[in-house]
Amino acid sequence: MSRLRRIRAEAVAAWHSFLRRRTAVFFTFFFPVLLVVIFGALVRTQPTGGGLFAEPAAYYIPGYLATVVLFTPLSRVGSEIARHRDDNRFEKLATTPLGRGEWLLAHTLVNVAIIGLASLLILGLVVVLTGAAVPITPRLALLGPFIVGAVVLFCGFGAILGRLSSTQDGVIAASNTIAFPLLFLSDTFVTLELLPGWFAPLVDLSPLTYFARGVRALTYGPAIEAPYGRELAVVAVLAVGFFVAGAYAIPRTD
Amino acid sequence: MNEAVVAAGVSKRYGETVAVDDVDLSVADSEVFGLIGPNGAGKTTLVRALTGTTPVDGEITVHGEAPTAVDADRVGLLPQSFSPPARLTARELIDYYGGLYATARDTDDVLSAVGMAAAADSWYETLSGGQQRRVCVGIALVNDPDLLFLDEPTTGIDPAGRQSLWSLLEELADGGTTIVLTSHSMTEIQRLADRVGLLQDGRLVAVGTPAELIDSHGGESQLVIDTDQAAAAVDALTDADFAATPGSTEVVVDGVSPVEIGDAAAVLSTAGIEYGSLAWSEPSLDDVYLQLTGEAFAAGDADSTAVATPPDTPSPTGTESRQEGAQ
Repeated sequence: MSRLRRIRAEAVAAWHSFLRRRTAVFFTFFFPVLLVVIFGALVRTQPTGGGLFAEPAAYYIPGYLATVVLFTPLSRVGSEIARHRDDNRFEKLATTPLGRGEWLLAHTLVNVAIIGLASLLILGLVVVLTGAAVPITPRLALLGPFIVGAVVLFCGFGAILGRLSSTQDGVIAASNTIAFPLLFLSDTFVTLELLPGWFAPLVDLSPLTYFARGVRALTYGPAIEAPYGRELAVVAVLAVGFFVAGAYAIPRTD
Repeated sequence: MNEAVVAAGVSKRYGETVAVDDVDLSVADSEVFGLIGPNGAGKTTLVRALTGTTPVDGEITVHGEAPTAVDADRVGLLPQSFSPPARLTARELIDYYGGLYATARDTDDVLSAVGMAAAADSWYETLSGGQQRRVCVGIALVNDPDLLFLDEPTTGIDPAGRQSLWSLLEELADGGTTIVLTSHSMTEIQRLADRVGLLQDGRLVAVGTPAELIDSHGGESQLVIDTDQAAAAVDALTDADFAATPGSTEVVVDGVSPVEIGDAAAVLSTAGIEYGSLAWSEPSLDDVYLQLTGEAFAAGDADSTAVATPPDTPSPTGTESRQEGAQ
């Protein structure tokens, strides 16, 4: 009970802190909306049918979801750690019963809630603005575990970035530098056919690739029979690994 | 008496800089121990060492265990330069930090104790600096700790708020809480601390009760005479076996007990020397600090000066490091 009490206290404080930073709330939800509007509704395919965004709209659902699943935890957890360090909050927390894993779990839960809401918004917008057809099947429910797994993974990654970067600015710069290539080179918006052949093995090294392929197998009609078990397992294993590494990376001392 | 905190041979280096140098220290259960010293002397690093938030060389035990292994529910800490989440209210902050412990004091009681009941529902970032510090003190107290580390708890708090926090800390100490306190306010330390340790360049150069330190290092009581006839006053007082030294518009007489003030005044009257005031002071922790650190003392922390003036003479005011009395 004490552990639950601690995690609840930390999560409630983090949730209120997030909701009261109106700019952060606005851009957390506005960024994916912007992406859907630009890439889903404004950008047109070439008349010959080639180029970027030539696939059916639902093909890109994993890409839109990946933007929030990737960017939000990386920047939020990383900068929260930098903010905690600047304000000597970890020095205080180190003398309380709250463990590092509990701290990260609390902040991960907040991110799961935020990104869950953002994901629902994205799905709705994609359907409404692009006319994407998402097959309603029982396996669609597995979207939740994929999103939760990826959020946990990137919260852990964000914690590592927060530990390595000395300032909030540094965290934001590092997370953008890492997230931008990951977003476009993980079988999300850019199909493998548009990349050089030698690059394909590198795509397989990105954790986001497994999220994208798994989500596509759940939400994209032509891929609806594709297997997703391996992708979910990879995301789950990486989530555990990054969470443990992230918890270990959270500073307890100076 | 049991020792709440024991440190033996504690050292901490940051590269070439020695922050804490071979410090031995013990704090008994229910004791209030004050740490004083100039900026950069190592006070905060030593507090961090004692709370296990920085790794150090040497041995430290807190309630008989390593600082990182001690039951966190028994320890409270107010770090220096600590800021909690800025967009939570004072009440939410007390609730939040209280929720990190197995049991916590009632939130309203804590807010009242630190004088924040009226502003309990204001966001932390909208509070004044002194109010923010009071909330931070409340956060440190929320788990009702047996051992409380406070690193400059009253920084930025106005005099009334300081007095109120001192009373609170005295109540805690009377209730058996062990307190390790750092401060630049000698008044605060002299009022609260059972024993004082003075850090200089990372070394603990003196430890004792305030009275012991003042006896050892504070120097003698002084009588300061404000007069334009300093040379004549020195001659007259010296003839009467007073240890008088001249200044430009004053004479300082060392080693004057309160009962001798009248004698000194009589000597001046007999010699026909006019003076503006007589100000008597006894040595204080400020003098100990100045003596041991060799620092010039910045006025502002000393007790208010009380001076006596003869009838129909102007009453000068001023501040000094010493605790003063009137005659």
